[in-house]
Amino acid sequence: MVKGYLGIDAGSVSTNLVFLDEAGRIREALYLRTQGRPIATIQTGLRQLAESLPPRVAVRGVGATGSGRHLAGVITGADVVKNEITSHAVATSTLIPGVQTILEIGGQDSKLIILRNSLVVDFAMNTVCAAGTGSFLDQQAARLGIPIEKFGEIALRSRSPVRIAGRCAVFAESDMIHKQQMGYDLPDILAGLCEALVRNYLNNVGKGKEILPPVVFQGGVAANAGMKHAFEKALGLEVQIPPYYNVMGAVGAALLAREKTVRGLPSSFKGFQVAQVDFASGGFTCDGCPNTCEVVEIREEGRVIARWGDRCGKWSGALAERKTG
Amino acid sequence: MKVTFPHMGHIWLCVKTMLEYLGVDLVIPPPSSKRTLALGVRYGPEFACLPLKLNLGNFIEASALGADTILMAGGCGPCRFGYYAQVEHAILQDLGYRYELVVLEPPERHVGQLLSRIKVITGNNSWRQVYRGVKLGYQKIRAVDELEMAIHRLRPRETIPGSADRAFLEALREIERASDLAELAVAQRQVKEILKSVPTEERDVLRIGIVGEIFTLLEPFANLDIERRLGRMGVEVDRSIYLSEWVNDHMLFGLIKGLRSRRDACRAALPYLRHFVGGHGQETVGSTILYARAGYDGVIQLLPFTCMPEIVAQSILPVVSADLDIPVLTLTFDEQTGEAGVVTRLEAFVDLLERRRRGRGRVRQEGTESKRGLRVTKA
Amino acid sequence: MSRKVGIPGALLYYYYFPLWQAFFQALGAEVAVSGPSTKSVLNRGVELAVEDACLPVKLALGHVAELAGKVDYLFLPRLVSVASREYICPKFLGFPDMVRQTVPDLPPIIDVNVNLYRRQNKLYTAFRAAGKIFSAGEARIFLAYRRGLAALGKYWKLMGEGFSPEEAINLLNRSSPRCPQPSNAARTIPEDGPAAASDKAPRPEREKPVVAVIGHPYNIYDPYISMNLLKKLRQAGVRTATAEQLPETVVRREAAYLPKRLFWTLNQRMTGAAFYFLRSGRVQGLLQVTSFGCGPDSMTGELIARRAAGHGDMPFLNLVLDEHSGEAGVLTRLEAFLDMVRQKQEGGRPG
Repeated sequence: MVKGYLGIDAGSVSTNLVFLDEAGRIREALYLRTQGRPIATIQTGLRQLAESLPPRVAVRGVGATGSGRHLAGVITGADVVKNEITSHAVATSTLIPGVQTILEIGGQDSKLIILRNSLVVDFAMNTVCAAGTGSFLDQQAARLGIPIEKFGEIALRSRSPVRIAGRCAVFAESDMIHKQQMGYDLPDILAGLCEALVRNYLNNVGKGKEILPPVVFQGGVAANAGMKHAFEKALGLEVQIPPYYNVMGAVGAALLAREKTVRGLPSSFKGFQVAQVDFASGGFTCDGCPNTCEVVEIREEGRVIARWGDRCGKWSGALAERKTG
Repeated sequence: MKVTFPHMGHIWLCVKTMLEYLGVDLVIPPPSSKRTLALGVRYGPEFACLPLKLNLGNFIEASALGADTILMAGGCGPCRFGYYAQVEHAILQDLGYRYELVVLEPPERHVGQLLSRIKVITGNNSWRQVYRGVKLGYQKIRAVDELEMAIHRLRPRETIPGSADRAFLEALREIERASDLAELAVAQRQVKEILKSVPTEERDVLRIGIVGEIFTLLEPFANLDIERRLGRMGVEVDRSIYLSEWVNDHMLFGLIKGLRSRRDACRAALPYLRHFVGGHGQETVGSTILYARAGYDGVIQLLPFTCMPEIVAQSILPVVSADLDIPVLTLTFDEQTGEAGVVTRLEAFVDLLERRRRGRGRVRQEGTESKRGLRVTKA
Repeated sequence: MSRKVGIPGALLYYYYFPLWQAFFQALGAEVAVSGPSTKSVLNRGVELAVEDACLPVKLALGHVAELAGKVDYLFLPRLVSVASREYICPKFLGFPDMVRQTVPDLPPIIDVNVNLYRRQNKLYTAFRAAGKIFSAGEARIFLAYRRGLAALGKYWKLMGEGFSPEEAINLLNRSSPRCPQPSNAARTIPEDGPAAASDKAPRPEREKPVVAVIGHPYNIYDPYISMNLLKKLRQAGVRTATAEQLPETVVRREAAYLPKRLFWTLNQRMTGAAFYFLRSGRVQGLLQVTSFGCGPDSMTGELIARRAAGHGDMPFLNLVLDEHSGEAGVLTRLEAFLDMVRQKQEGGRPG
């Protein structure tokens, strides 16, 4: 019988699931597009995972992370619900012992994590602006009519990257269009865009941080060889990309679940059959005060199992009391 | 005349007490909310800091409730706050709101200037009455400050989630109800009982000092309720400035002596920031140093986007953090600030502090850092 | 060998450089100014500064970094206050400390406090402290200080005549033989009397519209940061007028129309000048230049914009500069603004 740990990273762009065996080996890894349907995507992932794993599998613990971590947590009955910064740090410092710097660029945000002696000592995160994240690169690739998979390859062909200005996606995009109009080469423009994004990343999230090797680059954007090259050029350091670069958050969540349940505590995992259960997310606008919070309700087979989004705790609190009382 | 004033934490309790004691009609603006912010953002200057926008929203909302006179503190710079009242008033006038403006400015030449401004509000009350009203209001916020400090201790130790917060609201009502100093003394005894009734257990909790710009520190709406969030994550917080200290500085012009002094923080800051920079910039640097010395696990700096004194402090904090080995997280707030981003950062920061603490214990025990030895093979 | 004092060509360089230069030279020191602002100077500053710092501070850090390692001293006076009961701004107060904690390889910093907040404080106190480093002689320091003040007086007189800071500094240093024509339009906007000095200007010059450019000197006179704004305006056929051409008395008189005295000296000058230009009817447009993240600008900018809106037909443009501003966007807005100015001039001119 296979025993192991399930990690789920429910992000806005992708939903990733991994299954680690007890030795910490990655047995399965899934990368799915969320496409605005987080619950259905998590369920699809669970179904696919159950199919590819041996029939008799014991899930000893479940960890959830990502911006949809609470959702993933209540749906699956996760043992650990952790933020994505900690999850990424745990995964990378476990898989690449001695790592001192983690560059992570995902679909909607970017992070920088500084570790010393396997401990996170500093981090930064950019959530205000989506410039330089996966979504922005996707968009630009689409606008230029090239498949995103080819982006990095084409960028690497550049001999003298064009200088593209702008921190903000809007500025960068308009400047890029401008450069295009002036007749620059596609590889030079793409490489220039990579350099601009790296420069802005380092000036924004990397501000004042001591970036020491080994440097690991992960998240969906790490697939882009142009970005890796731009980072190496800007930092003057070798940049590694781990084999499971795009599911590291999920790996971290699984490792955290292992840490939590290793003392023999039983997992609160609801089982792979939750893929078949009818979950619905709904919401309402509370009119109790002018904050008009949009309260989200998660229903399992019609029964409300979780609520959040209320600033004052009136709705989420009511549910918590019912549970404890 | 119906007097209103901007929100900043529990300052409403102080102003309400003073004005009611003197029989002045007042309108407390509805608590700052998303609607307040939306109004402020719509009508305020784009690059003004968050507090100005919230003030403006408060005044627009209070006007709908019949307020016609604004009571505000002033200032002589160099922080922008000293010119808030005038800019806000100009905007309100252009929008067609007819507000009288009464600003308590630090007297430039003689105290008579200040007294005459106060007289506009207090009318026929004798100065003796005014003194009593001010004293009562002030004592109440001292009581609220003490209550908050107690809650900061209780939250991470409560055994029933939310019980500390419920006790806080109940205790606050007790303080609010008191209509003179004798009643306030009774209320404070009551508050002690309420606090005792919160079931707690002794835990080894993390301690975080919160420093930064005063408005963002004191107004839970502006800082997304950071104290409560941290409390519920099991963190005991302390704040570098409490309301009574601000009221003493800005509304009573330092008349009350013997409070926890800004001077200690400013003196501590000197090796890094040799001069005051307006607002609480020097205090932010100094308080960070004091928290580090007091053995706190970490410090969080709060500031509104583009806040000048805090940007000076922010430039200096990384060096303080490295020198004194204390992690510092800076959070900037404006209308663009998303809750999810703040929560993720807070959680990650608390994780960092927790693992740091555990890591230290481990280092001390084993003399070396243990690394989880895991192999990766492709499935 | 004389010791070299580095002065960054940023911030209050534009107000006080001749004083500083003459002072240090009279003490036998050599004065080195950082080169003009460039992309790389700005980029260096952006790297060093915290993300949310204002553009001028980022740029100034770049200038400081440029000098570090090349001079024996850096002169970064802490400009707390240059007028009674007024300040500059918090970032000027903290600038020497921000530099110390962020710029690597610094020479000793001369960060004497200039604090005239209290009336009894003396400017000389700061110079005396700075002079002690170079000369033990009290008399020599005092003479150097007097020489500095004299240079500053000449500098302001030249600016009053319409010379830009760069032109005025060149004239003082005689590095360029002659600069007979001031580039600004000061002579055409005399303090009193409608037709006074403007007759001196040649006729075609007189028919050009005048645009008041209101902004911090370190923004509007820095060709890189302002994207050559003043030159662009002149090339587009308009004359420019700036606050530096107005006497202190006028600026303060006009600023007194504010509901409360402004405690920022620089913004008081800008606001007073804007009010004067709006009221006097001697300009055909008001161009306000503010920098992103500047606290005082966010307040006075609002007051000036509101006052300009009160003069309904006065063309008004608020240009916000940050390190991401693209020149194309600035040009487009400038052109549209100038069209408004010309329209007003044609429509508004009697007969």
